[in-house]
Amino acid sequence: MKAKAKELRKTVLEMCIKAGTGHVTSCFSCIEILVALYYGGVLRHDPKNPKWKDRDRFLLSKGQASPLLYAILADRGFFPKEDLSTFCQPDGKFGVHLQNDVPGVECTFGSLGNGLGIAAGMALAAKKNRQNHMVYVLLGDAECYEGAIWEAAMFASHNRLNNLVAIIDRNHLGVTDWTESMLALEPLEEKWTSFGWAAGNTAGHNETILGVFRELKYRRNNIPTVIIANTTKGGGLPSMSNDPKWHGIAPAGEDAERARKELL
Amino acid sequence: MISQRDAFFKRVYELAKENRNIIVISADMGTSALEPFKRDLPGQFIDAGIAEQNAINVAAGLAIEGKKVFVFAIAPFITMRCYEQIRTSICMMNLPVTIVGVGAGVSYDEAGPTHWAVEDLSVMRCLPNMVVLNASQSLDAAMFAEFSSEAQFPVYVRFDRKILPEPELRHKRPDESLTANPEEADLLIITTGNMFQRAVEVAEELKAGVIEIFEFPIVKPTIVDEIEGKKQIVTLEEHTLPGGLGSAVLEVLSDNNIQIPVKRIGMDISKGYCYQYGREAIQKHYGLDKDSIIKAIKGRINHEKPDEPAHAKWL
Repeated sequence: MKAKAKELRKTVLEMCIKAGTGHVTSCFSCIEILVALYYGGVLRHDPKNPKWKDRDRFLLSKGQASPLLYAILADRGFFPKEDLSTFCQPDGKFGVHLQNDVPGVECTFGSLGNGLGIAAGMALAAKKNRQNHMVYVLLGDAECYEGAIWEAAMFASHNRLNNLVAIIDRNHLGVTDWTESMLALEPLEEKWTSFGWAAGNTAGHNETILGVFRELKYRRNNIPTVIIANTTKGGGLPSMSNDPKWHGIAPAGEDAERARKELL
Repeated sequence: MISQRDAFFKRVYELAKENRNIIVISADMGTSALEPFKRDLPGQFIDAGIAEQNAINVAAGLAIEGKKVFVFAIAPFITMRCYEQIRTSICMMNLPVTIVGVGAGVSYDEAGPTHWAVEDLSVMRCLPNMVVLNASQSLDAAMFAEFSSEAQFPVYVRFDRKILPEPELRHKRPDESLTANPEEADLLIITTGNMFQRAVEVAEELKAGVIEIFEFPIVKPTIVDEIEGKKQIVTLEEHTLPGGLGSAVLEVLSDNNIQIPVKRIGMDISKGYCYQYGREAIQKHYGLDKDSIIKAIKGRINHEKPDEPAHAKWL
């Protein structure tokens, strides 16, 4: 898991350096979460059949982390790895935010706050179709400022969507500031519990997160689950982590060289 | 007589009984039209509460998984409260979700301007992939149910809250606009929704033709063929003027290089919102009563100087 996360960090960094844009730090805070899902045997998927009806659904509601998902989907074989070098290039296949015309991507995201409601709709459809797959959705912590998140939270618990798992990338940073000084999100876990969810905290940058996903199989409750993964924005890259000035910016020149060295 | 809403949901119910993939989401709408769904098809009915943003997102999620979803609420709320979700979650992915809004124009008259839908046509018809259907009678409504249940793209269906008089005129074909367009008339009134009846009354007095538009984007032959040889076009709508029916007609004329003078009659935004009660009083405030319309049309034909809009005094 460590090796894969490191490899993906390098891939994402190079994609963004080449593009001169992209949300490097937003990707780095959730790399281990996605590695656990895609490489830890959690998310059932078939790169040869992206629309396989029994696949588990994964929705990246924080669509600004698209380069990471693209890098993983290419690595899993959904499309050729060479396509990654076209990220944010003229005539390229992908822009900054997530687009649903890419094989393996369920949904277009870029506008925050919509992923949980769409995931709830997909989970409800699975119930109605008597399908057993799970729906996972990754939310940014600052995304939880959006009111639509809480409308969806109420809806999902009321409809007993125990096939829905939300993961919150709790890196404590929005675009410009720390969440707790901008507009406090805490007590976040209690908010979700009071909305009728099974909620828990976990470390987000090591194998603990994989253990948490694996344990989900043994749940016997009839409510949705939210996992608050404590992460670091720009995690793995000391020169760019925990600093709002690096939101949505790709390093260039000396900064890029320093970042590359940090990932060696 | 049956309301447009009831006629629509009666047909959707019949279709839903045959097709388990049809799902109706209501945002806390209390209407007897939904009772059969709750009673007979509870698995195909969802109440989302007064949470329109989530209702649209849930509809998107269901549609991605192959469901045919109808989302129902009061028109201004199910369009403008959740506009961003409609744009991003529905239209950007071209999902077959039908948004059903009741309360076109000022039909929620006594409820006040919070409940009017007088800007929704502008903001919904400018969305890529979206088709807007605006009913003038309950016959339309049943047809709209069939159209939208088969549509593979987003649809916004816009209904009047009131039971409107059924005009004697009927669609020539189900997909064709209502029309009373004598070839000898120089003047043609193009209208939509509840103003159709008013247009017919005005046309009788002014010896004009009338065509009704119920689908946006306007299907080109619907008006291009009808306006040939006319000397003056009037558009009539219970909606604000920027972006509404009048704008849509001007776009078609411009795109087809047709040069016929057009007088737009609708709600002038310089008159702001108002707190008058009763549809007739509100229509009078905005110059949409029969006498005001006739006066406005005659003024245009006689080349009278137009009234200065109220905001001109600020300039």
